Amino acid sequence: MTEQTVRESINEALAEELERDERVFLYGEDVGDYGGLYQVTAGLQERFGEDRVFDTPLSETTLGGTAVGAALTGTRPIMEIMFGDFLSVIADHLINYAAKMHFNYTDDTSVPMVVRTTYGGGDQFGLHHSQDPIPWFQNVPGLKMVAPSTPSDYKGLLKSAVRDDDPVIFFENKQRYEVTGDVPDEEYTVPLGEADVKRSGEDMTVVAVGGMVDVALEAAESLADRGYDCEVIDPRTVVPLDKETILDSVKKTHALTVVHESATFGGIGGEIAATAADEALFYLDAPVKRVGAPFTPVPFAENLEQEYLPDEEDVETAVVEALEV
Amino acid sequence: MPDDSERTEIHEYLLLNRVFEETVLEVYEDEGIPELPHLSMGQEAVGVGATYALEDDDWLAPSLRTRAVMLMRLSIRDVVTGMYGTASSPTEGRVTEHHLGTSENHILGTTGLVGSHLNVAAGAALSARQLDEDRVTAVFFGDGGATRGEFHTAINYAAVEDLPVVFIIENNQWIEETPASEVIAVEEDISEMAGHDLPKEVIDGQDVDEVIETVSAAADRARRGGGPTLIEAKTYRYRPHAEVIPERRDEAEIEEWKERDPVEVHRERLLDAGVADEEWIEETRAELIEEIEAAFEFAKDDPMPEADVMDKVYKDMDVDEDGGVVR
Ligand SMILES: Cc1ncc(C[n+]2csc(CCOP(=O)(O)OP(=O)(O)O)c2C)c(N)n1
Repeated sequence: MTEQTVRESINEALAEELERDERVFLYGEDVGDYGGLYQVTAGLQERFGEDRVFDTPLSETTLGGTAVGAALTGTRPIMEIMFGDFLSVIADHLINYAAKMHFNYTDDTSVPMVVRTTYGGGDQFGLHHSQDPIPWFQNVPGLKMVAPSTPSDYKGLLKSAVRDDDPVIFFENKQRYEVTGDVPDEEYTVPLGEADVKRSGEDMTVVAVGGMVDVALEAAESLADRGYDCEVIDPRTVVPLDKETILDSVKKTHALTVVHESATFGGIGGEIAATAADEALFYLDAPVKRVGAPFTPVPFAENLEQEYLPDEEDVETAVVEALEV
Repeated sequence: MPDDSERTEIHEYLLLNRVFEETVLEVYEDEGIPELPHLSMGQEAVGVGATYALEDDDWLAPSLRTRAVMLMRLSIRDVVTGMYGTASSPTEGRVTEHHLGTSENHILGTTGLVGSHLNVAAGAALSARQLDEDRVTAVFFGDGGATRGEFHTAINYAAVEDLPVVFIIENNQWIEETPASEVIAVEEDISEMAGHDLPKEVIDGQDVDEVIETVSAAADRARRGGGPTLIEAKTYRYRPHAEVIPERRDEAEIEEWKERDPVEVHRERLLDAGVADEEWIEETRAELIEEIEAAFEFAKDDPMPEADVMDKVYKDMDVDEDGGVVR
């Protein structure tokens, strides 16, 4: 094991996949010589050359469309969309194209592309550079969405995403690039579609997505001091969802709280709650709680943004409220 | 210049397109067809010429109206069953024949969104560069498609990266029910909208020989690393945008275009040169009609698909109807 930041683990995953497979290439705005706005691709152009790692115009339309076309015809593009907010520009290529081509082809052709993008608030970047766009795409059959939390998951899941034959949106939380953790030294991947139990507990299942996993884990520590033992599950792949791991946990703890950064209404948490209601209702001893952002754009002022973002206290309040009814 | 046997082959393709769509129209008017016909009658020379000019492993990304790509790269039966969505249709009824994709026949899948395939085509050309493959991608789109941002962004990218792609505007001057001149701010050639540095050719889309020559030259240049070309073929459709839409265009305008009918233009040329005679043309036409009618008979008797064909959403994961991973 080596301690690495999320940034380093992603960079290493990209390097290893570029090395492993000639069909992989990496492109986006500023990703080449500059190394990406968040410096995630630093050094890769130097190492792999301008043919494999290169810059594009400021045109997400070009990125979205060319990635689909390149993926349909024998390559495995990895593109960087600087801010997840800009996924709206390539929504057509993701929703109508990438997600549907396997269905639309006469044969086994698919769209093995990865869209790496940043997401989330906390930097006072305002309403167009801070969103969590996961719910925009959760209703699109054919897309896969991955939002890891630890450095080793970031690396292992990104490598799986690159090798996957379906289109994957890989969400990188802006606040987590500097987060450190142990990453295996040997070659490994983390499979898509498998949730991970990050903390086991008996009283409450807390399903937390991406940047919210640490928030949930910290809340779980405080809650433990208060006598509530939480199990924290990180779905890692948000769509398609590993419902089995979540349901098994709910059947054990008899309670469920979901936590994500996007608005509570219309989020993946609602789907997870509905799944529990549908498939584990009679195991539940407590109301299901959803912790997310309020139904407003992400605000700019520091205090407002902090108010907007779900935090440990919100998780604690939800868990206690649920267990104390 | 194509040799004599190539010239008759080209004429056969023109006839195939024409006779096919005449049959479609007849069947549609008689008894309906599940896929709403968007006929290309009148503009066949563009699709036929371009498809003919390219190699089998060159990728083609048709517009909704480039019927020739489908007819020349799939079997007649595949196209017809595709229109009916039956069990033997190429996608087993999942999608209409309009924008299906097939890697075997190098038809790049497209979508029902007009013009969304321009950057996708540039991407297919990008992959040729990445893989060091000697293939070209041709993308067809209408004057309407050319008004989208896709047009500018794809042409810019292809031009700046010298990608092996041939952009072909089938300028039939009408965007559904709106004349292009009302919504496009250039006087004459809509290819002028692309101010980018790339070769532009404005050609007579009713002349299949001119289409072949221009597309061949563009493909050769692209294969040699010379980058993309933008070709604007002036053409016209005889039928309304789709068969449910009433005709609003001037009868005189339609008649004027019919005087330069692409099948007729080519036929005269063959007859004048003594490459083919009336008899051969009539025989060929009769054979095609027979084959097309047989395909319709087949499609009408073909069973409908089973529900499990819809289960083709992810290639690499087993997912249930509710979006859950199946272990
Ligand atoms: C993005 C998008 N906008 C609008 C439509 C509806 N629509 C379908 S075809 C069409 C006209 C297309 O005109 P053009 O691109 O010139 O092609 P043509 O039909 O003339 O071949 C329209 C408006 C659509 N399918 N997709």
